[in-house]
Amino acid sequence: MRDLKEVKVALAGNPNSGKSSLFNALTGSHQKVGNFSGVTIEKYEGYVDYRGYRIRVVDLPGTYSLTAYSPEELVTRNYLIEDVPDIVIDVVEGPNLERNLLLTTQLMEMEVELLVALNMFDEVEAQGIDIDVKQLQRLLGCHIVPTSAKKKQGLGSLLDHVIRIYEGNIEIKKNKLAFRPEVDSATDEITQLLAHEPELGKYNLRWLAIKLLENDKEVYNLVRQYPVWVKIELALQHVIQETEAVYKSDPEISITEDRYAFIRGAMQECVKQRREKKQSLTDYIDLVVLNRVLGLPIFLFVVWVIFHMTFTLGTPIMDWLDALFGMVAESVSPLLPNDTLRSVLVDGVIAGVGGVLIFLPNIILLFIGLSFLEASGYMARAAFVVDKVMHRFGLHGKSFIPMITGFGCSIPAIMATRTLKSRSDRLATIMIIPFMSCGAKLPVYVLLAGAFFRPAVAANVMFGIYMLGIIVGLFSALIMKKTILKSESEPFVMELPPYRWPSLRSVLVQAKTKAMMYLKKAGTIILLAVLLIWTFSNYPKNPELDAGLERQIATIEQTIIDEEQKERAIIEAENKVNASQLEYSIAGRAGKLLEPVIRPLGFDWRIGVALVTGLAAKEVVVSTMGTIYSLGESDETSPELKTILKNDPGFDEATALSLMVFVLLYIPCVAAVSVMKKEIGEWKAVAIYGAYALTVAWIFSFITYRLANLLL
Amino acid sequence: MLLSDLKVGDKAEVTGLLAESGIRRRILDMGLVKGVRFKVLRVAPLGDPIEIVFKGVYLTLRKNEAAGVQVEKTGEVGDGRPMGNQRSRWRFGS
Repeated sequence: MRDLKEVKVALAGNPNSGKSSLFNALTGSHQKVGNFSGVTIEKYEGYVDYRGYRIRVVDLPGTYSLTAYSPEELVTRNYLIEDVPDIVIDVVEGPNLERNLLLTTQLMEMEVELLVALNMFDEVEAQGIDIDVKQLQRLLGCHIVPTSAKKKQGLGSLLDHVIRIYEGNIEIKKNKLAFRPEVDSATDEITQLLAHEPELGKYNLRWLAIKLLENDKEVYNLVRQYPVWVKIELALQHVIQETEAVYKSDPEISITEDRYAFIRGAMQECVKQRREKKQSLTDYIDLVVLNRVLGLPIFLFVVWVIFHMTFTLGTPIMDWLDALFGMVAESVSPLLPNDTLRSVLVDGVIAGVGGVLIFLPNIILLFIGLSFLEASGYMARAAFVVDKVMHRFGLHGKSFIPMITGFGCSIPAIMATRTLKSRSDRLATIMIIPFMSCGAKLPVYVLLAGAFFRPAVAANVMFGIYMLGIIVGLFSALIMKKTILKSESEPFVMELPPYRWPSLRSVLVQAKTKAMMYLKKAGTIILLAVLLIWTFSNYPKNPELDAGLERQIATIEQTIIDEEQKERAIIEAENKVNASQLEYSIAGRAGKLLEPVIRPLGFDWRIGVALVTGLAAKEVVVSTMGTIYSLGESDETSPELKTILKNDPGFDEATALSLMVFVLLYIPCVAAVSVMKKEIGEWKAVAIYGAYALTVAWIFSFITYRLANLLL
Repeated sequence: MLLSDLKVGDKAEVTGLLAESGIRRRILDMGLVKGVRFKVLRVAPLGDPIEIVFKGVYLTLRKNEAAGVQVEKTGEVGDGRPMGNQRSRWRFGS
């Protein structure tokens, strides 16, 4: 096929305007997801071939406005300036036209090639709203196409308009929004001053002038570099005094009020409500869901459902994956003659890949749940219901769900913090998630509490550990928000969108996107880290130990006649050698090196080794202890491991409690750290977090150990 | 008076903005400008934030942020003054 001519189209619009549905309806399966450069905001791109053109569509983040205050808005306007799309389609929610037109007026100010998609037009008709589209076109100075992304109506007409505008076949007289005279003349004056700087040529100068009047940080910093700034500053001061004198207001507020005045006028001229609006279904649902008595229980129930869907449903799939990788390892093993190669491939690579994939079921299930909540409109209500508690600790209502998810697994939880708009809120939430005791830490508690406490006490101990995690997490958030993350939090000024039934497709696309992002971005680091830890706990090899083992086995073969006894003796000898080998490895040496530091917590070098290998995954703490106490393969239910710990002179209740506290609070597994790095974007913050977690873990373990020694 | 001083069911008109920088911009962008008439719809189960409604927009904001909006009270619950499409009378199944 010959090359198609390309048209670059960008979709802009408010959150909940049906922009993403329109994007999906237009581009179908021709989509890919990336990130806007420098930020963790997802960028959906796709294309559609239409009438000899390849129309490339970018779905910009949903925004109400184009200021410099939120990363979404900055990304949107920077894209419009830097990438200069041929046509910008502004998707407006038909039934809620008035609220959506604010963004339209700002796109008009940018003088982009604008086309308005009057979306959800089916609902407009159903609600008895009349919109005079022709007149509205005249007022906005751009073409308007009624569409319904859900019912796939008006899409052909929209694409026709795109092509005809691109070809210059239909023209429309652009309209300029007039501000009050003082602001208008200041805009003109500043625009003329800006024209003296040729370097600013790529910007729309009138738009820059308006942004300067709006006191926009970004544009301010841009223009301030130029000599003409001196004159502009004078002009700005002048208009500020003028608006203050005439309107008792400043240019920023004046401009916004004038935009709303224009919108109000347009609404009066073009929109008629034919019959009285009925109570919507949303009103009735909210009467129950946001009820003062029922609101909180309903919220907790929803969280409970999401949690169970993710982890109760996910765990069997994880076990199944685990077994699958075990099978693969077993069937590959005999094919490899060389011991070292087999060990690298089976225990290193296959186990490492397994370690990455094992988290996929949780991630996919959680994001199916979260996308459903988000698209249905409940997410905003959840934040509304729970914000008061979270705000007390310096967090946002939207931090709650990621935090709770942390009890299952930190990885999807950290990824779920993307709903938080402010970076400082997001960082604080990410950093406390690992304090929420994840599922992989449970085996450690089960082993230790089971070995040292009666069942009734053991349950209380475990409950105490979980509570300690929550308390440490919340207070850590409070401390961080008061110190290193002091910058402005996201204000809680949030629209509650009407409830909508989400399309299955968009929910699944979201989940798929997250899964791919995890595999692509975090997968490689996790794999490397798991391999590294595997190397640490296997190398260097002590050849003498192997030789000694062979000699021992030979002796056993000769001296013991009973087959069963012989086998037991050989296994025992192997376990001892494995323990010595681990002691000889880098991890073993690290454990010994650590001993002076962890001695005050009641730990000897063997626990040190388990803590080091536990960085691969928390449940590895248990299996490492099995190896190092010469028991071979063990898990938290092994009676031998429990007995041996109980009889070990260096191990008592106080040590057990102290170790549980340490495992709860210290650095999470490498997979979680990798995801953290990917979401935060810089190693420095991750390092600060690591140092903080280690310090907190040490202090709390120390206190626990000393107190337990005093009291028990 | 301030938006944060209003009670559930109160109706009021925005008369000015005291909030600064980010919060102010956000309030402006959500459409809460001088002259807008709204109604306090409910408070969250724990007493904060609050939800107000105007021109088809259901807006939630913390009392903290609501304290940055100056208002003039225009009516109370049950006074039957119609306000656009507002929901002053709840009736199930009607």
